[in-house]
Amino acid sequence: MAQAIPVVTRADPTATRTALTEGYVTQPLVMAHASWMWLRGISTLNFEGLTLDRGELTTGGYGEGYVDRRHPHAYVHELLTGAESSAGGFRASLFAGRGFAPFGSDDPMVRPFEKYPVNHHLSQVLERVVAVGALRYGPVIGELGTFNGDEPTGPGASPSFDRFGDSWATRLTVLPLSGAELSASFASVTSPEVRAGHGLDQRKGSVVARYNRETESTLRYAMLEWARTDERDSGVLTTRLSTLLGEAAVCARGVVLGGRLERTDRPEEERLADPFRTPRPSSDLANLGVSRWTTLTASLAAPRVARGFVSGRPFVEVARIGVAPGTPAGIFDPELRYGTRRLWMYSAGVRLRAGSMHDRMGRYGAAVPEMTMSGMGTHAAKSESDMMPPMADMPSTRNAAMPHHSSAGTCSL
Amino acid sequence: MQSLRNQLLAVCSAAALLAVTACGDSTSGPAKVDTTGLTSASCPGINLGPKPAALTLSQPTPLTMQVLGAGSETARYTAEIAVRGQVAYTTTWSFRSAPGNKINIWDVSGNTPTLIDSVIVSGATTLGDVAVSDDGGLLVVATERTGGSIVIYDLADPKHPKLLSRFTNAETDPGVHTAEIGRVNGKLYGFLSIDPIGSAVLARLVIVDLSTPSAPREVFSKVTGNPFVHDTFLRDGLLFVALWDNGMEIWDVGGCGTGASPAAPRVLGGVKTINGEVHNIWWYHDASGSKRFAFVGEEGAGTIGTSSRGDIHVVDISDPTAPKEVAFYRVAGAGTHNFSVDETNGVLYAAYYNGGVRAIDVRGDLGTCPTNQQVVEASTNLARCDLRLMGRELGVGLVDLNRGVYVWGVQYLNGMVYASDMVNGIWKLQAAK
Repeated sequence: MAQAIPVVTRADPTATRTALTEGYVTQPLVMAHASWMWLRGISTLNFEGLTLDRGELTTGGYGEGYVDRRHPHAYVHELLTGAESSAGGFRASLFAGRGFAPFGSDDPMVRPFEKYPVNHHLSQVLERVVAVGALRYGPVIGELGTFNGDEPTGPGASPSFDRFGDSWATRLTVLPLSGAELSASFASVTSPEVRAGHGLDQRKGSVVARYNRETESTLRYAMLEWARTDERDSGVLTTRLSTLLGEAAVCARGVVLGGRLERTDRPEEERLADPFRTPRPSSDLANLGVSRWTTLTASLAAPRVARGFVSGRPFVEVARIGVAPGTPAGIFDPELRYGTRRLWMYSAGVRLRAGSMHDRMGRYGAAVPEMTMSGMGTHAAKSESDMMPPMADMPSTRNAAMPHHSSAGTCSL
Repeated sequence: MQSLRNQLLAVCSAAALLAVTACGDSTSGPAKVDTTGLTSASCPGINLGPKPAALTLSQPTPLTMQVLGAGSETARYTAEIAVRGQVAYTTTWSFRSAPGNKINIWDVSGNTPTLIDSVIVSGATTLGDVAVSDDGGLLVVATERTGGSIVIYDLADPKHPKLLSRFTNAETDPGVHTAEIGRVNGKLYGFLSIDPIGSAVLARLVIVDLSTPSAPREVFSKVTGNPFVHDTFLRDGLLFVALWDNGMEIWDVGGCGTGASPAAPRVLGGVKTINGEVHNIWWYHDASGSKRFAFVGEEGAGTIGTSSRGDIHVVDISDPTAPKEVAFYRVAGAGTHNFSVDETNGVLYAAYYNGGVRAIDVRGDLGTCPTNQQVVEASTNLARCDLRLMGRELGVGLVDLNRGVYVWGVQYLNGMVYASDMVNGIWKLQAAK
């Protein structure tokens, strides 16, 4: 599967205290899954380092040295190999490589909005060297993973392999109803922002409720997420960052309507001469305070137009953004930074795709809940066990190489 | 008769001790003053002087340091301060409503500091350290973030600095966090602590020959610090280097007389102080000639304008190859930053961010105290004297105001204490002693 999203965004105002309009190709990526017997391979290559090295205008967004712009992701977003099998009603998997820690919610890339939420760095832990084990029994899934705490320092930067194992995460997921899931996760992340170590450590918690039901011609999706990150210095809490996010999308006749409301705390840092960049690492462990972002986003996507194996779905997104001093406010003053406390962001673009998108990103093997589509797309409507990747001891009629893809239905994102 | 005389002596001694203690002053304790000097084979050129006398102090209530006046700066955040004579220089930092590219020059001859001039450093977005050379001829300012440099001004007219030169090269990139200046064997040098950036550029220390200030010349560079090197302190040919979680190191840059120099330093020894995060250092020479202690500032995490954390650590350097931590001072809810010491009166003044200014009595032996004045650090089982429990907290400044402060730097000079406050500007206070 391949994807690219040409998009134009206007942020009014942004960190320059003026309005900026920019265009680029965002989220250009290639995904591939492979399976042979009980072996699995997963890869997602992301080329944002080539198309938006300066970052994508995303008012309120932050992380990895970018602020009010979303940083480009690593070229190797995911590259894992694993094994998966089942016995006695249990299903187990073990994956290792570069990818997601078992924490929080899915990557925003596979959710209904083009713009990432502010809470990306509170709600996901990604692009790490991970080893993740998962065990499922009936509707209960448990995951445990270990990884390197350091965030990528650039799209092409290799992970700090010698830090593998200094951080860990665990997630428990319950599937009470078809299409519904509840999860709670916890992560201990060592010095994510200072690659050499000795930076602030993080203790992260997340609770997610998710519902997704998709048919050939309809989509019902909703997610409610709460997450918290405690930054700690030598074990002492220094800053607490929280987020509450709710988002939903419906689709009828190929038109997808989505809405998202989030309230997220952001740590404020000293900025460079480029007001969209912060020093990474910072020169000490202090921050300038906490800002609180309340963002309401509406998204409308037109029916998908397909030509051969390539499809395009035009979309527009509008975000109304409020920023206020958080707790503690420190010396952050939104009026000084932006000239206002109310901001707008408008985006228009086209999701171009060839092939089927993975419908989940951030879970591997036995941790992936079954699809909820019925009788459509690349998946046949099968029993729950058939929705799992085929295993050596569990034959399946499903395409083993594409275990968790969205459909090619009219409402597929 | 002998017995009666002994009893009288004992009674008199006890009475004297009680009297002095009741007055909150000091007296000599049971330990004798060691008047012999101390040199080591590793550093024969440095005599650390006599072991300081143990003092018994009462537990005074810290006095409130009197504020004499303030100079306001609200367009920019104020950073470090340097004072010489009747003139104070303050740098600015980051971005408020204007970038931190300005040096303010204040007339501090009166109680209220008065802004008399300012200098904009071209191409800079944030300044950090500022220092005046010992002869008063040069002002040196560090720039951070935009390539990094030190900017050197001629102080022939101290109230109106004139640009003399600017030193920048690949080694000062991405920024000079601090720049200390001092002489080694009569020659002026700058000691530059350089920020790390990304995954490839590590923190390092750069030493620059400033003997021709119009043409500074790099003589040494070394990757050091974990992950930062934040500051240095030069005295008598020894360079004390603040290496964050690698603690404090003592480098011979010419003081030991064994051939080391600023161009070829030699590491004598080091200590990892508790909690690490070593930011700044002061090697204390007390009035008796004792040079056994160094004060180490720990810069913990905080929120600028609101909170901070980090202790002052006292390190005994009697053996400079194996310094050891012996005491500490802690302020609940606040952390220390830069120091200035009134060595004649034995008072350490510490900038304490949201905790204002603290004055601490550092006379005598800081590493010897009864067990009820010690705290055992659980992680290391190290017993350290608590300077607060020892009754050494003399004064507190800038905490009784009806507005918040965030004090970056402090300097003692001629009975006055000058403080740079990130959110308000500059303060002038009466010294605690």
